[in-house]
Amino acid sequence: MTGSFGPTMDRRTLLKLGGTGLALTGLASLAACSSSGGGGGTNASATLKMLYFGDQKAATTIQKALQPQIKKIDKNAGLEITAINGTDWNDFIAKVLTQIAAGSAPDLVSVATEGLQQMAAKQMIMPLDSYVTKDMSSLKSYFDDVHPALVESMMYQGHLYELTDSFNAGSMFYSTDLYSQAGLTAPSDKWTMDDFHNNAEKLATLGSKTNAFDWVVRLWGSWTSFLYANDGNLLTEGKYSGGDWLWNKAYADNPQAKGRRGGWKWGDPTANSKAAIEALEYVIELQRANLSPSPDVGGGGTLQGLFASGRIGMTIGGGFWAGGLHNAGMKDGSFDVQKFPIWKSDKSLFGAGGYGIFNTSKNKDLAWEVVKMLVKPETFDLVYPGNVTTPARKSLMTADRYKTTGPDHWSVFWDQLDGSVPISAPPYYQALATSLNQRTTQAISSGNAKAALDGMQSDLEKAQANS
Amino acid sequence: MSTATETRVTASRAKSLRAARRPGARRAARREAVFGYLMIGLAVAFVSVFTLIPILVSLGLSFFSWDVITPPQFVGFKNFTRLFSDGQVLSSFGVTIVLAIGIVVLQIALGLLLAVLVNNRKHKWTKALFRTTFYLPLLASTAAVSIFMGYLFDAKFGLINYYLNEIGLPSVPWLVNPTTAQITMVLVVVWQQVGFTFVLFVASLTSVPTDVLEAASIDGAGPWRTLFRIKVPLISPTILFATVVAMINAMQLFDQPFIMTKGGPGTATTTATISMYQTGFQNLQFGYASAIAILLLVIILIVTGVQFLAARKLVFYQ
Repeated sequence: MTGSFGPTMDRRTLLKLGGTGLALTGLASLAACSSSGGGGGTNASATLKMLYFGDQKAATTIQKALQPQIKKIDKNAGLEITAINGTDWNDFIAKVLTQIAAGSAPDLVSVATEGLQQMAAKQMIMPLDSYVTKDMSSLKSYFDDVHPALVESMMYQGHLYELTDSFNAGSMFYSTDLYSQAGLTAPSDKWTMDDFHNNAEKLATLGSKTNAFDWVVRLWGSWTSFLYANDGNLLTEGKYSGGDWLWNKAYADNPQAKGRRGGWKWGDPTANSKAAIEALEYVIELQRANLSPSPDVGGGGTLQGLFASGRIGMTIGGGFWAGGLHNAGMKDGSFDVQKFPIWKSDKSLFGAGGYGIFNTSKNKDLAWEVVKMLVKPETFDLVYPGNVTTPARKSLMTADRYKTTGPDHWSVFWDQLDGSVPISAPPYYQALATSLNQRTTQAISSGNAKAALDGMQSDLEKAQANS
Repeated sequence: MSTATETRVTASRAKSLRAARRPGARRAARREAVFGYLMIGLAVAFVSVFTLIPILVSLGLSFFSWDVITPPQFVGFKNFTRLFSDGQVLSSFGVTIVLAIGIVVLQIALGLLLAVLVNNRKHKWTKALFRTTFYLPLLASTAAVSIFMGYLFDAKFGLINYYLNEIGLPSVPWLVNPTTAQITMVLVVVWQQVGFTFVLFVASLTSVPTDVLEAASIDGAGPWRTLFRIKVPLISPTILFATVVAMINAMQLFDQPFIMTKGGPGTATTTATISMYQTGFQNLQFGYASAIAILLLVIILIVTGVQFLAARKLVFYQ
């Protein structure tokens, strides 16, 4: 085709311009991909941005409820909470990272144990040591009220990265109605795996529509609870050195702080250890014996629904189940809780939640003031109305708090913290969670725990090497 | 090209040349050129922004190690050498191909069968009713469909197992067993996507010349012979198009397995795109994830190329 178009813009010129544009756009995209780092400074009278795991409606409610507290800190300051939806912490962390990659620079994050070491190792959140040291006197009442196990779970390589406000220990919830129908009495706080198994067998006699026990595939409160009780773990347990700066000042006279160090150091994988194989085989056997159905992956909504509708006798839950079951229509007294049964040890697991400050925040000083406000006793119910998690402060663990939701034995949530270990969430948590999901479902479907855990061991070794 | 058409083109060109000699014609031609480029530019910009640039950036990133947080580091072909020795990722490509074959075969066969059945209906309203019914699932959000199907196929309390039990049949571990999970995934995808091939085939069958069908009928061809010897060859270009599109879509399968099984049990439904997501967004290895994306792109190109090559012998153009 010739002569049809004017000489001002030919195809070659257009392609050249297009090519240059593409190249520039490509380069710009790559350049934009790398994080810009963060300035330190403080700009009081700013609106802080906080990322929150949940839906936007709840986030907006919390945001509104917290505004008066924010105004007390600085009448010109504001707080904007952005909700990040997800089925589990794995999903949440992936989306936080995507937001940051997209150029968003939030100031605060509410993140649980699952994401703490990953964010700290990637230097996304900053150590709070200097702020804590500076405000130690005003934080004394906070540390006096919070179990040192929770504080230690928020440390990494000797530094404190978050102030915790909540936790959930993996306890055993049971339906008092089904227990009663099966002629069972409430388990004692010293109950063992044999007791658990006997109770499951009796619950199974209630009929095929009742599942004696059910669980969800995830790191917190999964077959991992059995693994911990079997005195094992997916990773070698260890602790980072350091942390004396905190323990010597904040917990000097507290016997529960003895032996606390600079945070949990998750070492080489032990996913195919004897304890792990035994624990996974145990839950497979429960399924074979029709004492447990096939578990779902992640979340826990379905499990909660089944428990609330009286189709599950026992399941692993934390303080969040109190509010969850109450909201699902269960009446106080129709369910109760006990510590996780003792197997080879009384070790159980927990996960904690708290607040950290992003390294990229330009309002770190103000963010620190907001973090302190968020862990005050009066803030807890504004953020978590209706017992949807367990307060990290012992002073908030009262009979009055649980009188509308139950359970009667609410005190086990706190009592279980002694001798407990946080979930093993290393900096490569995401890869660990993916492998855990895949290999657990593989074991359940094939019935071969050993082969699946050998695979998980290999996955974790690769993930550790790549981290 | 016919003589009449050639005459029309020559006359049009002569008219343009005459116009170009007139004062102001040059400016008009330039305006026309700018408008033409603008129109092309929009399409080029759209494809560039949403397809070409992401592909180029992915290609670039596949030579880097990048965790989103720290700046990318050039690693050459390391991601690709790792990819070809990574059993899990390669297995996800195997799963993708198995699922894609199942989906495409069933989608094309079922789409054709439904189209033939509907096309044979005499009443227009029944045709319209079936067309709408079969096309409706395609309009639903894949995420919503996947969540719904997850509940439907749940081994514990799913409606399907409930009704199976009601008629005395045992529960099926739909999403719990690797084989049944793959079959379920194929069924769910086909249920939602079959409307697309169905509508294409209905339109194509309608355009089959009636005189050819009448001639076949006079020659004594039965319905099956007419279908396989007359209709199928005549609509083979549409079958090729539907197969290529279905294959490309199936190779990118993500939503259904991600929502319904998270890629499990084990890795039975972990497709290449899920593997890519896990590598990039969960393990923060965006360079490696880009290498997986590039390999998937190459495989899709090869599969599509093979389909077009095979079509040379199998597709009949009128």
